[in-house]
Amino acid sequence: MTSFLLLSGSPSRPSRTAALLDDAAQHLDLGGHTATRIDVLDLPAAALLRADTTHPAIQNALAAVDLADALVIGTPVYKASFSGVLKTFLDLLPQKALAGKAVLPLATGGTIAHLLSIDYALRPVLQSLSPRHVAPGRFVLDTHLVKEGPGRGISDPTARRAVHQAVEQFVAESSTTQSSLTEPALSA
Amino acid sequence: MTTRIAVITAGITEPSSTRLLADRLAEATVRALGGPSAASVDVIDVRDIAHDVTNHVLTGFASPELQERLDLVAEADALIVSSPIYTASYSGLFKMLIDVLPKDSLRDKPVLLGATGGTARHSLAIDHALRPLFAYLGALVSPVAVFAASEDWGSTEAGRLGERIERAGGAFARLLTGAPAPKQVDPFENVTPFEALLADVTGAA
Ligand SMILES: Cc1cc2nc3c(=O)[nH]c(=O)nc-3n(C[C@H](O)[C@H](O)[C@H](O)COP(=O)(O)O)c2cc1C
Repeated sequence: MTSFLLLSGSPSRPSRTAALLDDAAQHLDLGGHTATRIDVLDLPAAALLRADTTHPAIQNALAAVDLADALVIGTPVYKASFSGVLKTFLDLLPQKALAGKAVLPLATGGTIAHLLSIDYALRPVLQSLSPRHVAPGRFVLDTHLVKEGPGRGISDPTARRAVHQAVEQFVAESSTTQSSLTEPALSA
Repeated sequence: MTTRIAVITAGITEPSSTRLLADRLAEATVRALGGPSAASVDVIDVRDIAHDVTNHVLTGFASPELQERLDLVAEADALIVSSPIYTASYSGLFKMLIDVLPKDSLRDKPVLLGATGGTARHSLAIDHALRPLFAYLGALVSPVAVFAASEDWGSTEAGRLGERIERAGGAFARLLTGAPAPKQVDPFENVTPFEALLADVTGAA
């Protein structure tokens, strides 16, 4: 079984990015997978800003990253890039924190003109943490998301299908490599 | 008229090489502008207002202390920034301050970029992370930026970092004053004509 971690870097509450991740998590559930969740917003701000990795809540979050086989990382697009809040958490991770792990980046933004921020701003940061694989990301327009109340999640059918497809493909890739890693050697 | 320079520095360690780079870039710029009578410098150390920045990100409201700094940035004639490079990009704290800058507060503003890192291997983060961010903000980014790796501060390399800082300050001052770049030495200006070279070989003329 693959263990997933969903990480939200949105400072808003309620948040469209969080709603997007929850939608993705439900889709994972339907496929029989379990997923844990971290919202950077819930972590102690002072410890985060001082990069205090001795704080118990920060240690728990770092342990959750360590335990996960695959991460879904969500960020709102701010100023044509990832949010500063998401980055404060990524800044705490050890240099090889994503070694052996797969990552699916998801972004929400107000304009499709900033779609490439996933590949030009976020991807190099993720790549620097030495993941096994960074899957093609998905960008969802904020107008295609409902952040609270009934219908919370992806409201646009095309966007929903696209995200669910990306999640399914990510699950398939994450589990294949997982099993191929544990496969006995030919000579065994 | 004095040039008002705002400096944003986002190092979190104490002492901070990011802060040191910011100060050195400001000094070099002031020197190139003609000394302390030509320019004033206001330093905004994001570490001092980290809590206010966080509250602004979460609630959308600026404390008076933060507002004062945001106004300094908006009203400055020029901005110098210095961020540590973490995971191949600007730090989260630095980006949080950028996230709360009012829209258009950096439009057309001349900006000098500085960044520090543990290794020269991440030098390109200036051109691939910081430069696009300031392009989006509509700033007029100076062509010469400075990346200072830990080893650059060491005794043998210190002179070279000093040269790079002076060069960046000089280029930034020219951007601010509209002064032309110093004339490049053209290695082909006084070249021997090709015919003369040929004449040597063939013995003609
Ligand atoms: C400070 C700020 C800056 C923003 N900058 C951008 C931007 O550059 N590009 C974009 O597409 N959307 C931008 N947006 C819109 C948000 O990315 C979008 O509304 C997102 O879905 C918000 O997600 P959240 O509800 O999880 O915070 C910005 C929003 C804020 C508050």
